[in-house]
Amino acid sequence: MARRRAKALPKGKDEDVRTVAMLATAGIMSLVVAISVILAPIPQVGPDEGNQAPDFVSEAYSGFGWSEYRLSDNYDWDWNGSSDSNWFLIQFIDTDCPYCWIEGEEMSQLHSQWGDKVNFVTIAAQLNIPNHDSNRDEVEAFRDKTSYFGCNSDRDDCIDRPGTPHDWPYIDDGTNSILESWGLSGTPFTAILEPDGTVAWNKNKHQGEGGDGEDLPEALQRLVGGQ
Amino acid sequence: MSSITPPLIAFIVGILASSYLLIKGKNSSGEEGTLGILNASMGFSAVGIMGSGWTWAIHNSMIMGSSSMCATEGLVQCGSVIGDPQWNNLFGIPWGLVGIVSFALIWFFVLSIRMDLHAKWTSGYVDLLFYVSLAGVPFVLWLVLVELTMVDGAPHICPYCTVIHIALIGMVACSYFLRQKRDTGMWS
Repeated sequence: MARRRAKALPKGKDEDVRTVAMLATAGIMSLVVAISVILAPIPQVGPDEGNQAPDFVSEAYSGFGWSEYRLSDNYDWDWNGSSDSNWFLIQFIDTDCPYCWIEGEEMSQLHSQWGDKVNFVTIAAQLNIPNHDSNRDEVEAFRDKTSYFGCNSDRDDCIDRPGTPHDWPYIDDGTNSILESWGLSGTPFTAILEPDGTVAWNKNKHQGEGGDGEDLPEALQRLVGGQ
Repeated sequence: MSSITPPLIAFIVGILASSYLLIKGKNSSGEEGTLGILNASMGFSAVGIMGSGWTWAIHNSMIMGSSSMCATEGLVQCGSVIGDPQWNNLFGIPWGLVGIVSFALIWFFVLSIRMDLHAKWTSGYVDLLFYVSLAGVPFVLWLVLVELTMVDGAPHICPYCTVIHIALIGMVACSYFLRQKRDTGMWS
């Protein structure tokens, strides 16, 4: 009796082609990455001096309601180191942070001295610690020095904040997303940016462990000068 | 600058050529049809990888100011999409880089299958290809929603992003038809 032979199914190759496929894929991916980096080098972004400051978009209060604010919209990208473009003073606060409460006076003084050459920007974060719950009403009151009980760890009326009312944008960072993008875990923090957004001075580098002790007024004098 | 640039034209030609190969492969029977769909898959994933690389380069140049690689004003532009720090990354990783890695993974599956249609693992790789491609669809929908409703001055259309989105949809179609060929015994 004749035996019927089953039709043989096509058989795969003896060698495993996946290694070759993986090498080819890695090669193509590397090539694309290399060409992209040649076309536009990866910028160094971060709060360290010499880096491009982390950009952000958020709502800002400038005394007449809240509106969208993007930090980089205010840069002078063509700044060559000698033009009269304004520098930036970035300050991170929490309206309930006692050190930020005290720093309010220093910021008022610095603004009266350098306000025509430096754009002041305050970012109001909300640290995740007890009695540090804030909201936009509190941020407005902190900036404007108007009556709102709840500033300084819920101990004071915001109208009593040291210093004068602050005449510059306050950015809402209630989610702490800007604070995190700057790699910060606490407030107050200040940084000075060149007109094109390059970080020129970082408080933690100078006043932290191993720093040279240079404070904010000294840094403004050294970098912006003219006072 | 004009919205239509040589790289954009090249990517669109790649999408059209891949679509043609897909239709031709779908309508062909046996191994010829399977290879046609796999060739289309390689085309879509190549456009995806290169397009993602291009958007990553635009992303990097926009961090340092305006870019000459894509228009920054008008309805069709990249400025408010790739240049917006709020939307131009996934957990801090630029979307372009996410795209390069994702399409490279897809490319690996396609190339492996293409190199050995009858290996033991081929059937499993066809499924993986389908699921990996399908996993990108929610991200595409989200990014289109961002472009049309959430970016500064919306609606805007980022042309390179759109090319990449179409490449991914093409990959979903390719992997779907590959599975269909396998399941209906039309693989070879």
